[in-house]
Amino acid sequence: MPHLEISDLITVTDPLSGARMPVRRGDVVRRLDEAGDPRAARIVAGLPAGPDDVLDPLAVDRLMIGVHTELQRLSEELRIGERLVHVLDPLFEAIREIAGRRGRFRLVDIGSGLGYLVRWLASTGALGPNVELIGVDLDAALVAEADRLARAEGLDCRFVHGNAFDLPEIATVYVSTGVLHHFRGPALAEFFEAQADSQALAFCHFDIAATRLAPVGAWMFHRARMRHPLGRHDGVVSARRAHSDETLLRAATVPGIRPLLYEPKGLSNPFCTTLRPVLGIRPYLEDPLRQALGRSSRRLVGAEHLTRGGPPRHDAASWSASGAASGAGR
Amino acid sequence: MNPVLPLAALGLVDAAFSGFRAYAGRDARIRKHRAVLRASLRGLAVGAVLLLAPALTAGAVLLLAEDTDRAYGVLADGGTGFLVPIGAYALAVGLSLAAYFALPYRASTLSMVVGLGPLTLARPLVVAGACAGALVAGGGWTSLLVGVVAGAAVLCVEPYVHRRWYAFPV
Repeated sequence: MPHLEISDLITVTDPLSGARMPVRRGDVVRRLDEAGDPRAARIVAGLPAGPDDVLDPLAVDRLMIGVHTELQRLSEELRIGERLVHVLDPLFEAIREIAGRRGRFRLVDIGSGLGYLVRWLASTGALGPNVELIGVDLDAALVAEADRLARAEGLDCRFVHGNAFDLPEIATVYVSTGVLHHFRGPALAEFFEAQADSQALAFCHFDIAATRLAPVGAWMFHRARMRHPLGRHDGVVSARRAHSDETLLRAATVPGIRPLLYEPKGLSNPFCTTLRPVLGIRPYLEDPLRQALGRSSRRLVGAEHLTRGGPPRHDAASWSASGAASGAGR
Repeated sequence: MNPVLPLAALGLVDAAFSGFRAYAGRDARIRKHRAVLRASLRGLAVGAVLLLAPALTAGAVLLLAEDTDRAYGVLADGGTGFLVPIGAYALAVGLSLAAYFALPYRASTLSMVVGLGPLTLARPLVVAGACAGALVAGGGWTSLLVGVVAGAAVLCVEPYVHRRWYAFPV
């Protein structure tokens, strides 16, 4: 049975036009029932809809903003900002080393939601003054709220409604938090390929570490910290949908990119590693990045680590080959 | 030892934390120290009022008792039994909080995941354990009554503050 997140089903946006699509409540309830998730179906059945059974878009927007606000609390308590900066700061240091200290760089947060990461980075200045911060999301309501929050606090960052890969400006680094598990099957590799095809120097995507503890921990933490049943439900499903180390490294193996995983399964304490990133960097950045990370660079591994650590499904060479093949096919 | 003062102090500290929890997750701003302080004070104020209920209950028990000294002694024994699980819980929360604020982010995640998160969920169980402790310590039904009223009071602070001030995102 597939694990479905309610928020994915009740907000549907046309990726090309960015337009909001009408969603029929009955269709969502049926999908959740077919997926063997009657609890989620009940949650959706309780959402307000018009006489045509289309979910009330304003009510859905309010709900999504409320759930994302609660979700931000988890990010705050788990100090996600510091966790990100621990990797992003050395990454930008490596980029400055290569590109020159005086450059102006741009961080683009894909699927930024309420923009916690971007606003936190703007508030703390953790990446320095020469990094422009942009959050992008397909959900217009979340983008509007992120923008309102940033303006209310006078933060130097901005938010864009649309596709992160259609921005007029070139991104130096793409980042995301909690987005990867939404991509299933070939869409995951296509997501990484889009960034490899761009002029970005690196990507750094944080998602839930796929450990056995993750669903239990997610249940515990969401139960303790979130009030709305939708948030509690989706929080646990997210942990169940988290991609394994192998899947992430395989998907991120695309031409022109050196895929790396920070704090993979065997190298980290699952109680301490709630989110961890898969990175893709231009190959010439690897040495400066390792240098900037210092002792922490031992936590940064490529596909060859998995080959050494146990029986791999694909070795590094075959991954490279498959990456090259997929590149040739594009 | 008279357990009234430590119990009152723990109840008020818990009320302040309850006020914070009632607010947390309702405000997506980044800088919100003042709002956190305000929410904690709201919890403290509500807790101070609600904790009058067990105090009044204990007073009523003493007023209605034929032997006031004996009734006081029984309540004190029950209060001590009530304090033991609450005190152990408070110690665990205190250690987890200290670890959360003092340690680097990885270790603070650990204190949050195995400490503060589950400890929040365990609050009703801790109150039940404290009531059982009051009985075991020889507090009788009067201590149990006061303990149940006190437990209900501390558990009501968070939902009340949440509904009164934070029903909608800030």
